Amino acid sequence: MEGLYYGWQAVTSMPVLLAAIGGVTWGILGGALPGISPSIAMALLLPFTYNLPPLVAVVLLAAVYVGAEYGGSIPAILIRTPGTNSAAATVIDGYEMQRQGRGGEALGLSLVGGTIGGLFGLILLSTLTEPLASLALYFTPPAYFALGILGISIIGSLSEGALLKGLIAGILGMMIATVGTDPISGVSRFTFGNPNLLEGIHFILVMLGIFAVAELMMQAGEDRWTEGTKPDAQSARLRLPSIATLWRLRRAQAIGCVLGAIEGAIPGGGGSVASFLSYNEARRWSKEPEKFGKGSEEGVIAPETANNVVSATAIVPTLSFGIPGSNSTAILLGGFLIHGLQPGPMLFTTNPEIVYGLFGGLFTANILMFLIGAVILGPCIWLVKRPKPYLMAAIFGLVVSGVYAIDHSLFDLGVVLGAGVVGFVMRKFGFPTLPLILGLVLGYMIESNYRRALLITNGDHMVFLQDGVSLGLLACAALIIGMSAIREIRRLRNPVNLEEAAAQ
Amino acid sequence: MRGNLITGSLLLIFSVVFWFGADAIPKSSLSGSVGADGLPKMLAIALGVLSAGFIAQTLLMMRAAPAAANAGREEKSGEFSLYLRAFGMIVIGVGYLVLVPYLGYMLTIGLLLLTVAIYNGKRPSAGLLLFAVLGSVAFYLLFVRILDVPLPAGFWPRLIG
Repeated sequence: MEGLYYGWQAVTSMPVLLAAIGGVTWGILGGALPGISPSIAMALLLPFTYNLPPLVAVVLLAAVYVGAEYGGSIPAILIRTPGTNSAAATVIDGYEMQRQGRGGEALGLSLVGGTIGGLFGLILLSTLTEPLASLALYFTPPAYFALGILGISIIGSLSEGALLKGLIAGILGMMIATVGTDPISGVSRFTFGNPNLLEGIHFILVMLGIFAVAELMMQAGEDRWTEGTKPDAQSARLRLPSIATLWRLRRAQAIGCVLGAIEGAIPGGGGSVASFLSYNEARRWSKEPEKFGKGSEEGVIAPETANNVVSATAIVPTLSFGIPGSNSTAILLGGFLIHGLQPGPMLFTTNPEIVYGLFGGLFTANILMFLIGAVILGPCIWLVKRPKPYLMAAIFGLVVSGVYAIDHSLFDLGVVLGAGVVGFVMRKFGFPTLPLILGLVLGYMIESNYRRALLITNGDHMVFLQDGVSLGLLACAALIIGMSAIREIRRLRNPVNLEEAAAQ
Repeated sequence: MRGNLITGSLLLIFSVVFWFGADAIPKSSLSGSVGADGLPKMLAIALGVLSAGFIAQTLLMMRAAPAAANAGREEKSGEFSLYLRAFGMIVIGVGYLVLVPYLGYMLTIGLLLLTVAIYNGKRPSAGLLLFAVLGSVAFYLLFVRILDVPLPAGFWPRLIG
């Protein structure tokens, strides 16, 4: 009952409503721009959330995530260029429908499917999070340390099949987290006498650099954005599907819901995996599989439902354990941490208004996504057609201005530019960036719990093996790393695969 | 492949440097059995091991597929110019960083918008100038007036007195 009360308060609160409107609008527009992922759209807003009330801040960030999942389908359908990775599967049948003069129908299916998926995901989020979080009440400092290690191990081993690169990135992130004042003894580490580094390197700065600045550098070095062909004005009018159509497509939607729920909750899963899996399964279970690839409605609604389910279920591990499984949820976690909120079981008792308020805000955001999505198509098309140089300039302007808003320090801008270089180099050399972000965000939690555990046991490292939960989590981490290592070794031994890998 | 080898070597060197940096961290009696240098040293060792493994993996792959390892050398010079173009954005950012305390936010952000647009292919034109002017006004209104961020005013207040 208390949860419903806080949720209702959030739904009827004007600041939360405005945050949801602003977040969804920004998310749709940002998601519609190829090259602006949901995580970049969220990262650009992070500095602005500093001075906002905590609930408004997290709802704003979550609403961006929700909106961007729909926004990515607009250019996917109209100009065959997905705005986000999750919309890549939508291109297959969505653009085909556009070519047949049915682009408006495809956009309508995407919007309605996304709304249904988002609401379904929200039901799962609100019912699963607290029971999972209550498991974490049994966590001791050794268990939290092990959980952080497990989180980085999972993401490192799933990252693009490059185990060593993923683990190296995670270690680098944790190294960055050691800069500043030691949390236990108060001595300064790696500050080189610079007072700006005494408080450490803020993860917002690294996120902005790794995501936004590195992407701008990639854009400057490549011609990935296309202004595309001018969308046909007639087929660009949104056409919402009828109830009968939605009922006819119920199987595809159900597949999207189930696979989105599973993939969203798995760290490293995410919208793009869920959308492709849903597309494939929808085709497998369809009564008309021959229509896939030729403008099938199921081929649009299944992936679009899935990627919006993910936008909610991906938050489950973040809220329950404080372990984000994707770039976007890592930024959402950042939003919590900025306001001194540590996701996990204690959040449900110390700040229930934040958790249930977030659920209420997400409900509002999904409804608003439907309403705003129905009218924002024109501005989206206008924005997609803007020359790339203008968009890059505007985004760079947002970055340099937003960074200053955090601590009013130009040193922070230098850090962001440096992080941008690091992010660019990592991407060029095939190093995944999510493990680095995770290492940075979880570094403090890992170190403080590690040293706390040793303080309690007077330096006895056996505590990490004697604590059952810690032992289990560390064993899982070792197993995941071990299995990934075996896969890599097999890949190295297979000459055919070696040539493919060497050519990468 | 060669890039991986260089990257692995640099990471290995960095791990050694990091270890020495961690060793230089002052000891404190407030620390427990593991001091402020504990985790940094462990991270340095882990990075060293992983980097060595990465180098070994790369060498194995190069030995197994030498043709693929040497392939694409001609493409590298083209890629290098793309890298330089990418780093040009950082140079623009550094330029903003240097100029903003002197020229003030409004003028510098306008210059930034203009420079980035030209750098990325837009030809100088009246429209571009209008974009830079309107953009700087919009950013000023948003950040300084609405969000109340005390962005640098430069020498203008002194000039106006």
